Amino acid sequence: MRGIADYKGIAEQGDLRAIEAMAEKLKGRTMLHVNSTAEGGGVAELLQRIVPLLKDLGLDVRWEVMKGTKPFFEVTKAVHNSLQGKGVHITKEMWDEYEAVNRENAERIRPDADFVVIHDPQPALFIDYKKRGVWLWRCHIDISGPDRVTWYFLKNIVERYDGSIFSVSNFAQSVSIPQFMMQPSIDPLADKNIELSEEEVRRVFERHNVPTDKPILLQVSRFDPFKDPLGVIEAYRLVKKYHDCRLVLAGGTATDDPEGERVLKEVLDKAGADPDIHILLLPPFSDKEVNALQRGSTIVLQKSTREGFGLVVAEALWKKKPVIGGDVGGIPLQIVEGVTGYLVHSVEGAAYRIRQLLMNPDVAKRMGEAAKEHIRKNFLVTRNIRNYLAIWLSMEHRDEKVIYI
Amino acid sequence: MAEPQPFRFFECFALIRLTGRRAKDILELLEIIKLVSKGSIFHHMHQYFIKPSIVPPEFPNDFAGWVADSLGEENLAEGLANLNPFEFENIEDIRSELVRIVTEHLKNYPMPRPCQSGREFMFNEGITIVLPTDIVAATLHDFARALREVDQSSIYFHFYEARLRLGKERDDFSQYVDECLECPGLASRIKSMDPYMYSTEVLREKIIRLIEEVL
Repeated sequence: MRGIADYKGIAEQGDLRAIEAMAEKLKGRTMLHVNSTAEGGGVAELLQRIVPLLKDLGLDVRWEVMKGTKPFFEVTKAVHNSLQGKGVHITKEMWDEYEAVNRENAERIRPDADFVVIHDPQPALFIDYKKRGVWLWRCHIDISGPDRVTWYFLKNIVERYDGSIFSVSNFAQSVSIPQFMMQPSIDPLADKNIELSEEEVRRVFERHNVPTDKPILLQVSRFDPFKDPLGVIEAYRLVKKYHDCRLVLAGGTATDDPEGERVLKEVLDKAGADPDIHILLLPPFSDKEVNALQRGSTIVLQKSTREGFGLVVAEALWKKKPVIGGDVGGIPLQIVEGVTGYLVHSVEGAAYRIRQLLMNPDVAKRMGEAAKEHIRKNFLVTRNIRNYLAIWLSMEHRDEKVIYI
Repeated sequence: MAEPQPFRFFECFALIRLTGRRAKDILELLEIIKLVSKGSIFHHMHQYFIKPSIVPPEFPNDFAGWVADSLGEENLAEGLANLNPFEFENIEDIRSELVRIVTEHLKNYPMPRPCQSGREFMFNEGITIVLPTDIVAATLHDFARALREVDQSSIYFHFYEARLRLGKERDDFSQYVDECLECPGLASRIKSMDPYMYSTEVLREKIIRLIEEVL
């Protein structure tokens, strides 16, 4: 099993020292995480990484996953959309279903620990079953512009927690409980990010019939209108007038998502017969494939017009790739303008920045070096571990602004 | 003569707490500056020095940076950037000075447009988590060696945090050099440095150089 010591020489030394010192104080104490999926999605991915590391530090950590009915997940998807500002009315029947499934799960899981972290709205009503300990609600979604009625009901639940955690400052809301910030992170030792040999990278490009004879532009994303894959093709075409290059658009097949299928069809139509555009449909859990594609590319794009945090940007930056991304969501936190990449607002902007980097490989190389260091300093999983422990300790020293460990 | 008490170096990091308060224009910024916690004012005046960054921001405090980047109000940004927190004895005095600078600007210039949606100034505050290190020094020579060795957060903690947040009359370094190592001249030179012109790494080098001159 991987332990925190494996991150020596990779993560910030100061973070590792802080983790060890705080874990020593908390050794043997109990921690519980509850979320709604065991695999797939960013939250499950994060918990898969951090729970073993927390256990390695001597904490008694339990991770429980809710079991929901189909109607329940329809309700929570509606709540999710509504919190993200897509006005969906949540009816009384829907709230009743939400309450019933929370009750069944809480009775099964028995949420009892010194420090309880409830992830996202699905299990938020577990707070009704609190007996003891410090309870935090961890919000992974963008609720900066929520539907006001839905937020009113959820806020009444959230304010019964001892504290809350948000990924970005402006996701925070006016609530009566302490709110902490914790940015998402990547794990440098996960398949998605681990070092690969040139041979491994070459084999992945070969397997997907992508020759590596020209500079490669890459965007990894679902075929979703907000990721603007059509805009990426237009930018590539503007660049192509000056530079012979290839474009790789890699994403999931999304067979259960009608909108995804429609966007994919539009992308295929727009790509036409251009042999230098490669549309790759990757099956779920293609982590090493994505890793290799990012490592083998010249420039990575994330031309989103709307984004949550967009952690795929951090993944590419970690591989020393300059990233050209949309100025939305969490992307500006990851792209330091002109230092680790460029923020763009249009097809023309993306094309201009791509040309600039293709013309100046030395600049691209320097940006890549800075990019990795930026991620190392701010977005590695060890930072999340450090912050969880610090939040726990700070909740046990409420009202103290300077806490000596 | 008795051996001086050794100086123990601490290091630290900031845990960010969100207040949920946001300003989209100068008036809102002013109103919220008046009522946020002292911790929030301290955080936005100092996070530049502790936040890990690969390139230092143009301005040394968040207020100046936001006014320049999100409102395009360079004139006010320069006024805010020029505020030197070390000239003030406590955070309330810094708050008053911020209010004075913004108010003066509003009297003399037309109100600028609000920022774009999503670019609001988010008021946060920091909780400082302080950790002991194994690094100690009992002589001036050791002190210079230790200064080279410690994490940059240690320089931040003993220099910036000690003075304003912990309410000490001076930074921990000059206090120790004066009271325990009995070098008042050196202490005075360290104390009179203008740390707002330097990153913590440059400050570290400057202090080491001052000590080496004495050695």
